[in-house]
Amino acid sequence: MRSAFLTYFRLIAADVRAQLGYPVSFLFETTGAGLILSMFFISLALVFQRFESIAGWTLGEVAFLYGLIEMAFGAMDMIFSGFDPQFFGGNVRRGGFDKLLLRPQGLTLQVLGSSFVIRRLGRIFQGIVIFVIALSMVELSWTPVKILYLPIVFISLICFFGGLFIMGSTITFWTVESIEAINILTYGGSEMMSYPMHIYQDWMRRFFTFIVPAIFLNYYPALYFLDKPALQDLPSIAPFLSPIAGFGILFLALRFWRFGIRHYQSTGT
Amino acid sequence: MSEMIAVSDLKKHFMLHRHRPGFIGAIRNLITRERRVIRAVDGVSFTIEQGEFVGYLGPNGAGKSTTIKMLTGLLVPTSGGLQVNGRVPWRERQKHVREIGAVFGQRTTLWWDLPVIDSLELLMHIYHIPADRFRQNLQEFRGLLELDPFLSTPVRALSLGERMRADLCAALLHDPTLIFLDEPTIGLDVVAKERIRQFIRHINIHHGTTILLTTHDISDVEKLCNRVMIIDRGHLLYDGALEKLHERFGGKRQLIVDFGETYGEVHVDGAHVTERVGTRVTYHFERGTVTASELIGRLSNRFRIRDLEVREPDIEDTIRRIYEEQLLARE
Repeated sequence: MRSAFLTYFRLIAADVRAQLGYPVSFLFETTGAGLILSMFFISLALVFQRFESIAGWTLGEVAFLYGLIEMAFGAMDMIFSGFDPQFFGGNVRRGGFDKLLLRPQGLTLQVLGSSFVIRRLGRIFQGIVIFVIALSMVELSWTPVKILYLPIVFISLICFFGGLFIMGSTITFWTVESIEAINILTYGGSEMMSYPMHIYQDWMRRFFTFIVPAIFLNYYPALYFLDKPALQDLPSIAPFLSPIAGFGILFLALRFWRFGIRHYQSTGT
Repeated sequence: MSEMIAVSDLKKHFMLHRHRPGFIGAIRNLITRERRVIRAVDGVSFTIEQGEFVGYLGPNGAGKSTTIKMLTGLLVPTSGGLQVNGRVPWRERQKHVREIGAVFGQRTTLWWDLPVIDSLELLMHIYHIPADRFRQNLQEFRGLLELDPFLSTPVRALSLGERMRADLCAALLHDPTLIFLDEPTIGLDVVAKERIRQFIRHINIHHGTTILLTTHDISDVEKLCNRVMIIDRGHLLYDGALEKLHERFGGKRQLIVDFGETYGEVHVDGAHVTERVGTRVTYHFERGTVTASELIGRLSNRFRIRDLEVREPDIEDTIRRIYEEQLLARE
């Protein structure tokens, strides 16, 4: 187990070293990614200047949710770079997955170690900035439970998004043409989760509750942290289900991943 | 000697879904899918002993790489027996790959953007190679393969020949008992080819490594392998010594004679004239019916001979004829 972690860190260190071999590209892409997302948030702030609040949420409250999701998705996008469906699908087609199968290490570990895109730091940093701004705008009443629960929500979100990435990558064993559809699910999903979910229609909220349980990871916990009145209509356990949703999705994704590998070994490409 | 690879009645069939073209076709695809079974490997049996050097030949799509993929544990067979080192490759993947090495001429196992030595050190950790063993092997291979000039160069900047040498080194650092070489000399010039052949021979002789070599280059096989297996359309057509190929498939030997003067009729029993340019005449004759010295004796009784040459049948020619005529399949 210890040696597996060591191998993982060595693989990541190698990939990071390789990326630092192109310092200019690293700088541009990191700041570029951060800037694009900041622009997006600034335009949101401009909308709020006119309306003050949207569906009962202030700019600070939306920023709290937005920043949290940005940080978590950015961190996931970095940690699970190897499972980025776009990258993984291309890798499978070029025979890169065969290369991993030929090495005496676990496959999940090797895929995670195959890429660690540090330019995602741009997105993470941008998420942190928005989150800090949010905390300065909202009067948050911190309790010990909230302080303990925030990192748990954060980790659960990473697991949840990571699970989506793993599922998306697994699908590329069958078809690489579906990458666009998978991207809609992952990137589009994270985008939708950046906003309070009561602004969406009923069927969509139901979808994100019962099919993809995203609502337990963003909206319900946010209601709890921000002490929103809508919380009273919910079962009191609802905001605290994020670890079950996050780890549950990751667990299912890994099962599907195992199944995909078995399929790959019986059909090749 | 013990058995390294044991394959019996090995089969791999793929199900191929045919996609009909066009819009109507796409809709029909949704309703009924036309399926076709591809028998990539269809009942192949052989054993390879420890220390053997075997050439595996076949035209494109013959089932070569499907066989290799099953032997390396990448693919699960449809049916049949398959054991390497006493293990079923895909069932114990990690243990299996710890003991084998593989080099694919078309792609590298090294890290594209890292210096060669960094890749080799990563492999040391991945394969848990003891540090002193690693040092010893690296010492030996860098000498034989002349790696020193580019050990600290990123792999992306290497020439094809250099990359191939680096890949060979990478595949052997963990002391595999069996290595798979897929087109290791493809695209290389004569000098680079020769260097790689020498190295492979060295590994086979001095390390006792079993080698299975797939290649399109017949001269690789002629120079290296004491045994050759030929596969086509999923069936093994031939398994044996390379020289025996001619005996079995009647490759014609050639006798080229340069006469002292121009003769009218140069026919001789046991051979027939296939080409005649000035005083130079080419005869074809079959092994087993007449020997070269008998022919030369008969000719020199009647004619004045200035020079002569005996040529063995062309291996490439023989193999091509085997594919084309499926000689063995009819047996």
